Amino acid sequence: MSAAPRPPLVGTPVMRKEDPDILRGQARYTFDIDLPDMLHVAVYRSPAAHARIRKVDLSRALELPGVVAGLTGEQVRQLGYVNPLSPFPFQSRDPFKRGNPTIKFFDHYCLAYDKVRFVGEPVAAVVATDRYIAEDALDLVEVELDPLPPVVDSAAALEPGSERLYEDWDDNVMLTFRVSGGDVDAAFDEADVVVKETIHSGRFTGTPIETRAVVADYDASVKTLSLWTTTQIGHAIGTLVENTIGLPGLKVHVNFRRIGGGYGQKWAFYPEEILVPLLSILTHRPMKWVETRREHMTGTIHAREQTHHIEAAVRRDGTILGVRDRIVANIGAAYPTGGLASIVTTGMFVPGAYQIANYEGQVQGVVTNKTPYGAHRGFGKSEACFVIERMVDRIAANLDLDPVDVRRRNFIPPDAFPYRSVTGPRYDSGRYGEALDKALELLDRDHWRNVKKEAAAEGRYLGIGTCLVIEPSSSTRMGSYNAGYYSVRMRMDPNGKVYVFPGGSDEGQGHATSISQLVGDELQVSFDDVMVVEGDSLACPYGSGSYSSRFSVVGTTAVTMAARALREKLTQIASVMLRHPPGGLEYADGKVSVEGRPEQAVSVSEVARVAYFYPFQLPEGMDPGLELLYHFRDPNIEFEADERGRVAMFSSFPYDAEAAVVEVEADTGLLRILKFVSVHDCGNMLNPLIVRGQHVGALAHGFGGALYEELPYSEEGQPMAATFKDYFLPTAMEMPEMVLEHIETPNPFTPGGFKGAGETGTVGPPAVLANAVEDALKPLGIAIRRLPLTPNYLWSLIQEARRSRS
Amino acid sequence: MSDRVKIGITINGAPHEGEAPARMLLVDYIRDVVGLKGTRYGCDTSNCGSCTIVMDGKSAKSCTFLAVQAHGRELTTIEGLAEGSELHPLQAAFQEAHALQCGFCTSGMVMSAHALLSQNSDPSPDEIREGIIGNLCRCTGYVPVIEAVQLAARRLDPKGGNP
Ligand code: FES
Ligand code: FES
Repeated sequence: MSAAPRPPLVGTPVMRKEDPDILRGQARYTFDIDLPDMLHVAVYRSPAAHARIRKVDLSRALELPGVVAGLTGEQVRQLGYVNPLSPFPFQSRDPFKRGNPTIKFFDHYCLAYDKVRFVGEPVAAVVATDRYIAEDALDLVEVELDPLPPVVDSAAALEPGSERLYEDWDDNVMLTFRVSGGDVDAAFDEADVVVKETIHSGRFTGTPIETRAVVADYDASVKTLSLWTTTQIGHAIGTLVENTIGLPGLKVHVNFRRIGGGYGQKWAFYPEEILVPLLSILTHRPMKWVETRREHMTGTIHAREQTHHIEAAVRRDGTILGVRDRIVANIGAAYPTGGLASIVTTGMFVPGAYQIANYEGQVQGVVTNKTPYGAHRGFGKSEACFVIERMVDRIAANLDLDPVDVRRRNFIPPDAFPYRSVTGPRYDSGRYGEALDKALELLDRDHWRNVKKEAAAEGRYLGIGTCLVIEPSSSTRMGSYNAGYYSVRMRMDPNGKVYVFPGGSDEGQGHATSISQLVGDELQVSFDDVMVVEGDSLACPYGSGSYSSRFSVVGTTAVTMAARALREKLTQIASVMLRHPPGGLEYADGKVSVEGRPEQAVSVSEVARVAYFYPFQLPEGMDPGLELLYHFRDPNIEFEADERGRVAMFSSFPYDAEAAVVEVEADTGLLRILKFVSVHDCGNMLNPLIVRGQHVGALAHGFGGALYEELPYSEEGQPMAATFKDYFLPTAMEMPEMVLEHIETPNPFTPGGFKGAGETGTVGPPAVLANAVEDALKPLGIAIRRLPLTPNYLWSLIQEARRSRS
Repeated sequence: MSDRVKIGITINGAPHEGEAPARMLLVDYIRDVVGLKGTRYGCDTSNCGSCTIVMDGKSAKSCTFLAVQAHGRELTTIEGLAEGSELHPLQAAFQEAHALQCGFCTSGMVMSAHALLSQNSDPSPDEIREGIIGNLCRCTGYVPVIEAVQLAARRLDPKGGNP
């Protein structure tokens, strides 16, 4: 009987082990945590965009039966031990030696004092025996505000003499960043044509269906805070809480086991993560706060609002010689979020999938009286992709070329990889032209061109669009919590079962399943004999969190390498047991055997028992047991920026070619997607079922951002979309028919060859649909310069075009 | 405000007697008084559908009812579908089609699909879309959910018997 290896789990569509628990309604999320004697928190939030606080009086609220405590911003400051919210993601205030980027800081506390700076900013908290009473008490909080001129628009915020949000700053610019490469001026001198555009991405937010929630329980006798919070960065939150609540001896146990979706919105340090613990410290009672959806829409970060003033120097044949882009991001108030990192990322990736040798990007992050700005799936690259993919079509329109030809002409060719981009990143691998060709073939472009012609004859507007998305994943930033390593602890117990403790956490990606596949293959144990424990800061090694699609790159690698190290140790022990050198042993199917002599074998669990119970029989110098800690650092990274701002901070480069056919109804502006194709390459697929799920889900975010989702503000800085009644997520009705295809170009830097898989879909639809709409409306001479493509927007463009023609 | 009312319901086949403030929402009653946390909430405008249960055979958003309005009625929540350790065929189909990721919307999604299948044993994709139009999911993009419901419909079809 030979020890034939079992069929591999990696690469197959294994069903998720997370699911039965969830499907039976047994899974517990943060807001399900109930502790004895627990109290409930409600937060009074600023109704004004910009105002000076004259008075916050809780006395009437505190008289309400059932109300136990309250807290104001002034009281927080008077406690003496509470610091402003500790910086995030950069852990110190100025990690940038070269002064690029430049960043200004401001001390925000967990409750506003002196001034409020956006609608939704926490001003005071009340605590009661149940949530209903706590909310009643909010009506009794007396707040007097002196209105200040609101700063809403980023262009107005930049004007000299504009009202300033932070009085000790000399303007409203929080961040400046410049990155350049090549000789941009020469490229523009050499150009046949210069194409200039101003392109705008609208404010957007990820709205996980689970709003945020925080539960805190402080045990004064041991100075330990147990904290449950809806976060993608649990370990970092523990550190940030320790930094911010400066009580000597304070220690924090963070629980973040199950999160109901994150998408970047939970990659930030929030005031409630200080406020709720403080209330527990002050009252000696466990405390729970659950965000309402209305609170979520203003108190949890937004993303994407950017205006690009971009120009491209091009040859008549469509070759892009150089690009200049001045990017102004409207980042709302200055909270510790990933917003600054995301707009820097935009500046780095405007060149996209193209061989552009000369580029200059200037980024300004401008504070306004809007909700703070932070991460969302696609992290700054969504906006970059929208702009460059729009520009390619604008260039084609200007030169009367086919946009597909302009793409092909400028793509980074497959033999140029690894490719050093003009801004510094090293693109690992890709077959952009092939993916686009495949997408066009699946779309059947020739057929749709005919349909389009026929439709045009009937006065209908059909259009075809294409785009190529790159979605760099697994990032690393110097001096930040985004430290680019993945940690994992792994134990094989004496019975041969494997327990895995990763430093990250899961918001729905199915880590437990993926890890069980990897470990199952490496250690030849059954899928069901692997248990994954995530999201517990005491059980798991310190880790930098779950974001940037990093699990598939660094997470899977850390798991694989840890399993290989365990296997190596098992083989060495077996070598003693079998009295045979380890080189001549075979590890397969739950056994270690002598090569060619399958009868000379020991089972893995026999070896495991020796490791634990016969420590004196182990090879010289070997530790007992089968437990180890492994760290894997992002490959393909250059940590420090050079003098022109160039830096390689993303490790792997998944991409997606998309093509779409749309019809626009001229009388209503209504858009219908007639066909949608995506050809996605995220390297090797660990679990095709999960990859497809991630991709389709990401595409839904993409359609939402392209067509429906928008966070407008009034001139007074009042948010006009603060519920699901006015912020439109796609429902099942809005999802178009899709043709999805994968090609696999392995990641050359990791053993599994996987790249990030969950974000490209989010990035593409805005670009491909805008391109298709512009193609449809070409007879009217319409250009698309902003998102989302709502019927209202399209209708007004059509009206304007018709007016100016008649 | 502090008026308490007695409430008697049948939930997942068993009678439950309890008491709650008159203004308490049914979703809170199910979660905090009955103690079944599988029913969730994700909004305050009855748009997300996370709180969906089946009430007297029809799907209902439990955040839009007061607990007292459920008095005398028969409720099924996500905890009432599986028998013992076996998943209900609809739940099994959700797993097979990968129709859930973070799982936060899943209880509501499954209950809407359950109500749909009890009224229409062979729904078309468009009928499924309509059946879950009140359930927002931010993870799956709905396509796998539609596939799961189709799969379950095929399996649950009394003529087809068990697969
Ligand atoms: S909680 Fe959103 S619909 Fe009921
Ligand atoms: S599975 Fe996460 S919201 Fe639906």
